[in-house]
Amino acid sequence: MMPITNLLYIEDDLEIGEWVSSNLQDRGYAVNWLKSGEQAVEKAADCQLVILDVMLPGLDGFTIGGRLKQQYPELPVLMLSARTSIDDKLQGLKFADDYLTKPFHPDELAARIEVLLRRSGGSADPEPLRLKHLLVYEKENRILDQNTGEEIVLTGKQFHIFAYLLRHLGQILTKEQIYEAVWNEPYLDGDKTLMVHIRHLREKLEQDPANPEVIETIRGIGYRVRA
Amino acid sequence: MKFRPVRKFRKSLLTRYVLILVVAFVFIPVLIPVSFLASWSVNLLMNPDQVIQNKRPYGTGNDIESAWHQAAAELKGASPEAVDSKLRELKKRYPDAALYWVNTAGQTRLQLPEQETVPKQWSLEDTIAFMKQRVDADPFTVVAFIGGDEQAKQGFMVLELPRKFMVIQADGRSSDSRFYGVFLAILLGAFVLLSYLFFSDIRKRLLRLEAGMTRQGPDGLPSPIQQGRADEIGRLEQAFNDMVFELKDSRQREHEEEELRKSLISHLSHDLRTPLTVLGSHLYSLRQESLTEQGQQSLALMETKISDLSGLMDHLLSYNLLSSGRYAMTIERLDVLRLVRESAAAWYPVWEKAGITADIELPEEPLYWKIDAQGFRRVLDNLFQNLVRHAGSGRYAGIAVEPRGGARALVISDQGPGMQAVSSASGAGLGLQIVDLLLREMGLARDTVSTDTGTKVYLYPSQKLNES
Repeated sequence: MMPITNLLYIEDDLEIGEWVSSNLQDRGYAVNWLKSGEQAVEKAADCQLVILDVMLPGLDGFTIGGRLKQQYPELPVLMLSARTSIDDKLQGLKFADDYLTKPFHPDELAARIEVLLRRSGGSADPEPLRLKHLLVYEKENRILDQNTGEEIVLTGKQFHIFAYLLRHLGQILTKEQIYEAVWNEPYLDGDKTLMVHIRHLREKLEQDPANPEVIETIRGIGYRVRA
Repeated sequence: MKFRPVRKFRKSLLTRYVLILVVAFVFIPVLIPVSFLASWSVNLLMNPDQVIQNKRPYGTGNDIESAWHQAAAELKGASPEAVDSKLRELKKRYPDAALYWVNTAGQTRLQLPEQETVPKQWSLEDTIAFMKQRVDADPFTVVAFIGGDEQAKQGFMVLELPRKFMVIQADGRSSDSRFYGVFLAILLGAFVLLSYLFFSDIRKRLLRLEAGMTRQGPDGLPSPIQQGRADEIGRLEQAFNDMVFELKDSRQREHEEEELRKSLISHLSHDLRTPLTVLGSHLYSLRQESLTEQGQQSLALMETKISDLSGLMDHLLSYNLLSSGRYAMTIERLDVLRLVRESAAAWYPVWEKAGITADIELPEEPLYWKIDAQGFRRVLDNLFQNLVRHAGSGRYAGIAVEPRGGARALVISDQGPGMQAVSSASGAGLGLQIVDLLLREMGLARDTVSTDTGTKVYLYPSQKLNES
């Protein structure tokens, strides 16, 4: 029996709340739905992710989110709001990890929850990630080639690049984004360092480095790793 | 402002300066005699002896002449010895003068002192030449007949005094005028100093005013300045302060309005989106039911309409903010291509899902424009969204950099039916209006070339300045 991921969901609209909680429960999450933010901080203690509305009776979502982050800095917070202005999004993203606007598709919400849980390592899923012929044990930082049964050893930078791509599974990342996240310094125009590292990384990961399948090149934009 | 001539006049800078001028002019006739008096008394105080010394030692020419004639007349009938002794006596009185006498026979007698030039025996020609030479000459010469006139037949006596002993010494007088000049200079200096102080005070206050006007407070507005005297500058300061207060007031009102509008929009957005979300949730639930083909199609259509409506609401609210100038922008020099790549990365999955092939040909070197990052993302989002909605049938999304109008332009192209074709999804007009408003704010321009085989949107800096 695999452990259940606990989600804290704060939403004042009954219809939406009912629908989202049941949908998420169907997807295998345990959902603790609160209709106001009063007990949010106490209830957040044993959950792995918080879904937070902005317009709430009493304290608003921004305030509650700020308090939650202060108490549990590692806890991912996803804002789910009908407020779509840039100002609101920016205010929310000051502390929140993601901002989804209503109306939304439940599949998108589920996908974003997945990404946040994976990024925070809060996913209760002990299963390794399957990427084509690779098995990736994220917690143990281990990559296994299923074809040969051998473990693939990456250098520090290669590992950082791959881990960053995995944290943003399914997302296309530009070379600037990857460089700045891994090297932690501004990308300089024309820098080929990242290309060189990706080439070496592909030589280790791909079955045929000339036709990469694990790390896709999106021409003109960047790279992507898809599940 | 009420017109109060008397008060104004009294407190005017002009009045003050005119007063200084009037005082200066009125006092000139008073000050000149005062300066004379002052210089005279200073002179007296500093050189009390010089005044006496300055007097002629032997009196005027007339004094000497009459004294000499009188002495000659007194010698009427006197013996030559008596004349000698009288001359010696007179020599004591005129130590600087040369004295001698000539008897009636023309012989020079006693000379005090002895002179080479005086003939021992006077001829008639000598006498006439002597008389001619000595008229208005140096030395000053007085000739008197002894005994009063030629009838006495006693000869004549001569006094020769170099004229330097008769000239009035100019020293005392010149020191007089020097002091007078000094006093006038002091008075003039005082006037100049007063004028200088007057204008330097004005200048100082004007500079302070200028500094106060240019100094910005924490809110980006000029701070009120301390008011001085209630003259023209004082009134200017007050007017400036009034202006600052008005500005603060209006800024405050503007801020309140902005807050009100933002909160209105937030609430409106919330109130409109919540039922849309509920609607969406029910549609989603319906999808789980077994439906006929037609039912499924209706559901799909409703879902599309909900997403269209949501996008339209977004546009409407953005347009409202933008057109009222409430959209805050931070213009920076940024690499446009980087933003384009990031935006394309976000849209790529949507294109993939819609079966659109992305053809992205961007150069390696960056393209710097002065833009607001959020605003530019919004522009790209709207353009990409239009591409998906209205030109998705072309199955093509092209992004490239091409030269246009002397600048490098970002080109977003599709192979859709063109903008003339009626699109099934509405709201494109508003989206493009938002794009244009944003572009205008960032100093960028948009050109659209649309045919029935595709549309090309060119974005480029409207001034050459933007690209650097």
